Amino acid sequence: MTKAAGGVEAEGTVIECLRNATFKVELQNGHTVLAHISGKIRKNRIKILPYDRVLVELSPYDLTRGRIRYRYRA
Amino acid sequence: MNFVHSAPGTDNHPVVVTRVSDTQWHAVEDDLTVGRGVASRRPGGRLFVSIDAWHGAVFDRIADAMQADLPTPLYTVVDEADHDSRSAWERAGFATARREWGYLVPTDPQITGLGSVRPPSGVTIVPAGEAEEGPLRALDRLIRGEIEATVGWRTMPAEVLPHPAGTTVVDPSKYAVARHVDEYVGLVRVAPLTRQPRIGLIAVRSDRHRRGIARTLLTHALGSLHRSGTASAWAEVNESNAAATALFESIGARRAASTLELVRH
Repeated sequence: MTKAAGGVEAEGTVIECLRNATFKVELQNGHTVLAHISGKIRKNRIKILPYDRVLVELSPYDLTRGRIRYRYRA
Repeated sequence: MNFVHSAPGTDNHPVVVTRVSDTQWHAVEDDLTVGRGVASRRPGGRLFVSIDAWHGAVFDRIADAMQADLPTPLYTVVDEADHDSRSAWERAGFATARREWGYLVPTDPQITGLGSVRPPSGVTIVPAGEAEEGPLRALDRLIRGEIEATVGWRTMPAEVLPHPAGTTVVDPSKYAVARHVDEYVGLVRVAPLTRQPRIGLIAVRSDRHRRGIARTLLTHALGSLHRSGTASAWAEVNESNAAATALFESIGARRAASTLELVRH
């Protein structure tokens, strides 16, 4: 058995698109993380914009960093 | 499917990469999934791969495992501004094959200058939702045939999403068309997303090029968006498509992103 997908997942809202293909995401608990887009989202041409609701996988090595794994439908 | 690739990982913890299905690889370190790789085949047949890992070393392990298991050529897509991802793929032997610009397209005729554009003689626009399905599909087949006989449409954004076999016009209601006398000669498809509409496709049959039909279609599509209160739309254009690049830049569209397609032969 492996732990679930590398660590903690959390829902949040994109509040800013930054340079270097990263996004500032405010999580439901009020914390803000810097997240980049998962390769699968990039590959499928899913566009992320401010105010999008997203599912973020937090880095097990740095909880201020994450990866956007899913964008919820508006 | 359970091929295992074992290798030293970060801080001397072993990383084990396992192919867990035909299309997925997992990297596990200390009982923790630290990376994933996914392969998927596009409708045109090309095999695309993606890797998500928290460490460059783990990325490299997954890339090695996937390349050992999959036939070449392999393709992937990165944001040009994402230098880490790009360099990781380059370490894995991938090289840039093409670039695609992402354009933010204004809709306001005062900005685009399209307010005074009139259709070429004899050309009228049939708005989205009013095009006849049979002639629309026939036009799509005609243009598709012309494109496939030359550069091909396999790299077009329109070709990424899967569609039912033999069906290339998935939702006819999203297409506006240019009609010349009794024939459909050009089409534009706008995905009316509430967040930001996307111009998914604009095309004119080859014997009607250079008459202003594409500009007329764009005038119609952007005008409709402007009247509905939408300030901008999104469009992706292959860098090598000089005509499309010139058309969008002539109406004030701004390059807001660039995507690289990488390939490993």
